[in-house]
Amino acid sequence: MTPSRRATLQWMMSAAMLPLARWSPPAMAAESGAAPPFDIVADWPDTLPEPPPAKGYGRDPDLTKPVAPWPLTLSKAQRTTVDLLGDLILPADERSPGAGTLGVGAFVDEWISAPYPIQRADRAQVLGGLIWLDAQSRAMHGAAFDAITPAQRVELLDALTAAAPAAKMTAPVAFMDTLRYLFVLGFYSLPEGKADMGFIGDQPTPGDYPGPTPEALAHFAEVVDRLGLRES
Amino acid sequence: MTSGALDPAAAAADVIIVGSGAAGGMAAYSLTKAGLRCLMLEAGRDYDPQAEVNMFAPESDAPLRGAATPDKPFGYFDATVGGGWQVDGEPYTMQEGTDFRWYRSRMLGGRTNHWGRHVPRWGPYDFKPFSRDGLGVDWPIGYDDVAPFYDRVERMIGVNGGRIELENHPDSPAGCLMPPPKPRVTEMLIKAAAESLGIPVRPAHTAVLTRDMPDDVAPRSACFNATPCTRGCTIGAMFQTTTSFLPMAKATGRLTIVTDAMVSRVVMGAAGRAAGVEYVDRKTGVRHQAKARAVVLAAGTCETTRLLLNSGDGERPGGLANSSGQVGRNLTDSTGASFRAYVPALADRPRYNEDGIGGQHMYIPFWLYQQQKRGELDFARGYHFELGGRFGIPPAAALPRVWGPALKKAVRSASGATIGMTLRGEMIPNKDSYCEIDPAVKDRFGIPVLRFAFRWSQNELNQVAHGQRTAHAVFKRMNAVILDPALPPEKIITAGGEIIHELGTARMGADPRSSVVDSYGQTWDVGNLVLMDGAIFASGAHKNPTLTILALALRASERLAERFKSGAFA
Repeated sequence: MTPSRRATLQWMMSAAMLPLARWSPPAMAAESGAAPPFDIVADWPDTLPEPPPAKGYGRDPDLTKPVAPWPLTLSKAQRTTVDLLGDLILPADERSPGAGTLGVGAFVDEWISAPYPIQRADRAQVLGGLIWLDAQSRAMHGAAFDAITPAQRVELLDALTAAAPAAKMTAPVAFMDTLRYLFVLGFYSLPEGKADMGFIGDQPTPGDYPGPTPEALAHFAEVVDRLGLRES
Repeated sequence: MTSGALDPAAAAADVIIVGSGAAGGMAAYSLTKAGLRCLMLEAGRDYDPQAEVNMFAPESDAPLRGAATPDKPFGYFDATVGGGWQVDGEPYTMQEGTDFRWYRSRMLGGRTNHWGRHVPRWGPYDFKPFSRDGLGVDWPIGYDDVAPFYDRVERMIGVNGGRIELENHPDSPAGCLMPPPKPRVTEMLIKAAAESLGIPVRPAHTAVLTRDMPDDVAPRSACFNATPCTRGCTIGAMFQTTTSFLPMAKATGRLTIVTDAMVSRVVMGAAGRAAGVEYVDRKTGVRHQAKARAVVLAAGTCETTRLLLNSGDGERPGGLANSSGQVGRNLTDSTGASFRAYVPALADRPRYNEDGIGGQHMYIPFWLYQQQKRGELDFARGYHFELGGRFGIPPAAALPRVWGPALKKAVRSASGATIGMTLRGEMIPNKDSYCEIDPAVKDRFGIPVLRFAFRWSQNELNQVAHGQRTAHAVFKRMNAVILDPALPPEKIITAGGEIIHELGTARMGADPRSSVVDSYGQTWDVGNLVLMDGAIFASGAHKNPTLTILALALRASERLAERFKSGAFA
């Protein structure tokens, strides 16, 4: 069984029981025969620095005082880039702030610094991706990602979210898939993110479960109609 | 290495109960009510849900937003402590080619602190599988023998549910069940789509209170429709022995509980009777012996089996109570597979509170008994689907590869638009699935460990393939986008043990030559040694086993108490 399948199963088992979806690895970016989006595509870094030794929280942590005991490992510059990316990937709008501004970069750092297998795999993708992003930015514009213009960043992010990436872009696109979903998980599990989704729950409701509201039932009746399903 | 020290609390015990989960909790409750003095030995640590469960904290308070890790396989706040798929210093091994997982909670209350809570009754076919299809073996008892105990257990532990009215899915008599919660929109849609294809959807039976359950010692409150049940429940709405049977049994003054007591073997006395057990204090490593007039093993299917196999001697080289050679054989787990889809028709649907009683409110019971009887299916036995789909963070697979305002819009739109159907099915025992003692490996207490061998047969693979076709047909009926990769059944079926429904390794029967215990869990070989957990199951059914474990443990406990009364152990 491959690690990604294990993780998916775990997601499914947990998802059946918890109100919020669990993290599951995004599907790998499928390579297409498309031409690369840029004249020069930077190489994916061969090697990454080893993470410092760290311990997990163990099998019996104090659940009333949750602590992540491992040290954060992003450098100041990396964290700045991650925060910048957070505000681009999930930008501020009338419903909620940007993910970087909200501090979700700290969650990304906590995640990729954790000493567990899934997180270690994500660490390689995220750190490799940050190195690649700066290299690509320098190759195209002579400056790191932090220092290029907003329009130049847009061009890079569009290339990193291509539906059908070119051969040399599969690893960078997979990096962005992982980073984007880490921002989604980190952002929408916060009170601000739940409010953004319009999530209603996490509040004791004594008595019989009220069930769907009249508005939700009306919508359901419409759906059943549209699908040609007789309501039973 | 044996201190021989006798725990003073144990000196007066009538019965030693090994394990404090569903079976051990029921035994302690029933036997102490009957006036017997019990000593309960629990391998895990003491555990107090009131002090330790962090019921209301948002996942964002936890490391990694509460995500599952090898340390906490069901998420940070999950109730399981001290264990999981691995327990430090207590390994298990596997035959080459086997992928088996053994979930162990090392805590008072065992695996009732985290469990599925889905408690369907087994039906007449489930106790007589061999008579129906010639595979496996029949139980020595039938549905009618167990039904009165189902009635009582449902009232004792608190079960909500509605009527099912389907073949081999017996309904409970009036007064047994609390009312079920209303379905959610996702469940209503699955019902509409499935029933248009002739597939029934029914209210699930769930061990969560929807009415208060007053009690002088352990009062329990109706569910307030919030917080994940698997964290444990401080208001007692979910059944777990730590908020019900154990405090109730303790209040009789006849139950002594020793935690961190890892039982290593059953100690035999004169005349082929069990004299007690030897256990290791997990904190000090010191060995103790405890004596009693009868011994109940309720350590969990595989741990109970390990104990029997490790309790052999010169007279019993194959382990204790194993003259049949069946101890460790016939190991089964439920089959499992999960299917997911994104339903465009549910995108941007109106928000409301979908927490409900935690898990599913509706499920799909097996519905193809007639087709199966006519030989129209390529697998024996049944499966069911547990239903999911709630507001929350959409899975990555349901989100387009976009960034910026488009991603925020996509998340809002897809929240609540993903549904899941989770298959649980019956496995037929096969000769390649068993556990035995590893001749070379011991745990940190010096106790030989279990080695597993496990294999799904074509029967289970065909069943899962059928489930995959069925789930996808339901998804297509609602014009949903299937999120599962197209994989053959051997790639989507769970690993053995992964559903945590291990059963059958000391099965009951009518014949001592082919079974380990009688229908009351009493071992054929040792008259005062009674098994009460899933080890005694003669088959697995596709239905979650805990209700049946509780019913059989109640039946076995009352039989044991009668035998005490009639002087069998004088």
